[in-house]
Amino acid sequence: MANFIDRFLKIPNYDDNESNVVARMTQGTAIGMIVLSMLFVAAVALIAPALVRRAIILAFTFTLTSLGVIALIRTQRLQFASALLVFVMWLAITVGSITAGGITAPIFVGYLVVILASSLIANQRFSTPISVGCVITGILIFLVQKEGLLPIPIEYPPAVRLGIYILFFVVTFLLQNVNRQNMHGLIKQAHDSEANYKTLLENIPTTTYINSTDINAYTEYVSPQVKLLLGYSKDDFLKDPEFWKKIVHPEDYERLMHANREGTKDGRPFSMEYRLIAKDQRVIWVKDEANLVRDEEGNPQYWLGVWTDITALKAAEEEQADLVSVMTKRTIQLQTAAEVSRAASSILDLNKLLPAVAKLICSHFDYYYVGIFLVEETREWAILSAATGKMGEEMLKTGHRLKIEDSSMIGWCIRNQQARIALDVGEDAVRFKNPHLPLTRSEIALPLINHGEVIGAMTIQSALPSAFSRVDITTLQTMADQMANAIENARLFTERASLINELETQNTELEQFTYTVSHDLRSPLVTIRGFLGYLRQYATSGDMLRFDKDLGRIANAVDKMQALLNDLLELSRIGRVINPSEAVAFSEIVAEAIELLNGPLEKSNIQLVTSDDYPFIFGDHARLVEVVQNLVSNGIKFMGDQARPSIQIGTEGEDANQMPIFFVRDNGVGIEPQYHDRIFGLFNRLDPSIDGTGIGLTLVRRIIEIHGGRIWVNSKPGEGATFYFTLPRH
Amino acid sequence: MDGEPILVMLVEDNVDHAELVIRTLEEHRVANKVRHFLDGQSALDFLFRRGEYNGQATIRPHVILLDLRLPRVDGIDVLKAIKEDDELKSIPVVVLTTSEAEKDVARAYYNHANSYLVKPVGFEEFKKLMDDLGFYWLSWNTHPDIKE
Repeated sequence: MANFIDRFLKIPNYDDNESNVVARMTQGTAIGMIVLSMLFVAAVALIAPALVRRAIILAFTFTLTSLGVIALIRTQRLQFASALLVFVMWLAITVGSITAGGITAPIFVGYLVVILASSLIANQRFSTPISVGCVITGILIFLVQKEGLLPIPIEYPPAVRLGIYILFFVVTFLLQNVNRQNMHGLIKQAHDSEANYKTLLENIPTTTYINSTDINAYTEYVSPQVKLLLGYSKDDFLKDPEFWKKIVHPEDYERLMHANREGTKDGRPFSMEYRLIAKDQRVIWVKDEANLVRDEEGNPQYWLGVWTDITALKAAEEEQADLVSVMTKRTIQLQTAAEVSRAASSILDLNKLLPAVAKLICSHFDYYYVGIFLVEETREWAILSAATGKMGEEMLKTGHRLKIEDSSMIGWCIRNQQARIALDVGEDAVRFKNPHLPLTRSEIALPLINHGEVIGAMTIQSALPSAFSRVDITTLQTMADQMANAIENARLFTERASLINELETQNTELEQFTYTVSHDLRSPLVTIRGFLGYLRQYATSGDMLRFDKDLGRIANAVDKMQALLNDLLELSRIGRVINPSEAVAFSEIVAEAIELLNGPLEKSNIQLVTSDDYPFIFGDHARLVEVVQNLVSNGIKFMGDQARPSIQIGTEGEDANQMPIFFVRDNGVGIEPQYHDRIFGLFNRLDPSIDGTGIGLTLVRRIIEIHGGRIWVNSKPGEGATFYFTLPRH
Repeated sequence: MDGEPILVMLVEDNVDHAELVIRTLEEHRVANKVRHFLDGQSALDFLFRRGEYNGQATIRPHVILLDLRLPRVDGIDVLKAIKEDDELKSIPVVVLTTSEAEKDVARAYYNHANSYLVKPVGFEEFKKLMDDLGFYWLSWNTHPDIKE
């Protein structure tokens, strides 16, 4: 039973606190009315039994209504319940007043209770009409009574009258007391919840703020965590409501102000990442998220925002971006290294390898200029051998070279066998500035080292300042090392090719030699042995005339044989017996050769013209005299029946390799074009009637070629011949 | 040449060798019928009736004795010119040289030489060869288109 009452009396939980309070008060009032009704009936029965019937009817009505009200509260119809309660109270008072004789009836005071109850339990909307209704009902009762339309008032004994009054006072007191307690509870609850929110706000690990909704966005509140975030206290923000604008990072200021203006205009949720400067000047990245808070009518009240510290996140992001950039660079470097390596192993021609590598490095890293220098034989100069771009072409054309000394990056790098970096060539290192490369801002010079010997250097230049790091040097040096290897390989390969070529030439010559020995040496033998047989016959027959003639033939053949053997010996010695090269004045060589040919020259009455302006050359003095001697001697031999024979020796410009060109010119019989090559071949004689073994020009060519020069002939039959040859300049 | 038919055409740059050949051929009584040329060019001019032989009557020798290493036009080139000419290619060409080189032998036969003889070193051998050569080409051998 108690359980049932408990369950019956348990008030369900309404959504809002106010409803809960009203429900509790309504139910309290209802229960109070039931109890009071019982007490009222008992009191009336005791004091005025004549009126007990009325009392019972009243009490019964109230009890029934109260039960109904409690039931309604239970079913969540709070408004209906409170309205019903107030209405039944009003109805009971009205009926009671009318039946008890109007305004003089003690129950009439009950309207005050109705008004009080309505203001406590009924909705605001009902309480005023109910109060007004009570007043109007009271006035109506007064008017009706004045007209005498009401029954004669019941005569209440004074004690009853007092009792009824007391009863109403008690009810009023109780209602008011309950109300006061509920108000207290509500206020405390509100207070508690505000304190909770505040605690919550000020303990979460983020900074909260409230800004005004106008364009100025004044700070109205900021949570104390701001001290942890920025080092400034919340008072700094509250004293100067525009303080926050003063600590925004200058680079983010405009962006933020613009976003703020936009946000004020459209009131949409705000979200932005920007930097603030903390009190200790640290840069703090924050994520600022704010919502516009509006009242029930939708009017903007304030901006409620949160600052979250995302500095670490940003740092991580930046680190990641840095990492990606470094990775990208390394990837490109690796890729270039691979391509350089491929080029190094596949291109064996130095003239193709160096430009290919320079171009590869320059384009892959987007450098301004890449140049490769090779050290020349005397190790005095570094000669530009490959270079990128238009300016590179220019420099290659002009034969750009640098002395191997500390006055240039390249010179320094080769001399010291070390990489050298200049991060701002333009300003700091004026002495390294190259007028061909005006945009260079950083430069790196890397030595090309093979087997411990510097064979050259590579310069890489960038239009950006500080374009190279230590890591770059390492990577680029790896490429340089690889290239040094490749250069060596290419050199060896070229050397091998020229060796093979030389061997082939020598092989051909040897074949020619064997052939010649079997033919040209045999030839005089055939003559000697053949005529020896006849000599014997003539000796027997005593034909001395023929004997002498044939003996002359034999002697001639023997001489020829000896000359041939001498020349062969000479030819075979050229390759081996060559004196070390020295600086020689070509005029001396010419003079010596002429001296040796004095006899034949005078005999043939040839006019010899020679220059007095010869360059110094680099070669074997004695051998070069042989060259001139042979050529002049040839000129004498093939002069023919020229009326005014002349031979001219001189020099005429230089060839593509900057070697001076010399010539020996005669106005003799000349040579037909088809023989221009053949004449230099071993034992190739054009005219058997002229003395000679056919070795002279072969000898000349061998000597010239050993010196690195070339020899060729320009001639037409009947118009003389000019032999040209080149020799290295000193 | 004084109306006599030329039986042997000798192309030889070495005058001593030419003398040896002519002397040994004397015994076959053809010496006056030997015509000697010092280089390939003059031999070809003679055969093709060019240059100084322009307009002269056609003379076909019974045999051509050809040295290989000759000034101006080489022996092999003379051989080629003869063997590429429809009228001349039937004339037997005997290469008579000091070279024993395989290369020369091969090139000579490749260019349709009819015989390849190496000049022997030694009087008796040389004489024997020329005797045999004279007998073979001038007596035993039947020549095409002989104009007597």
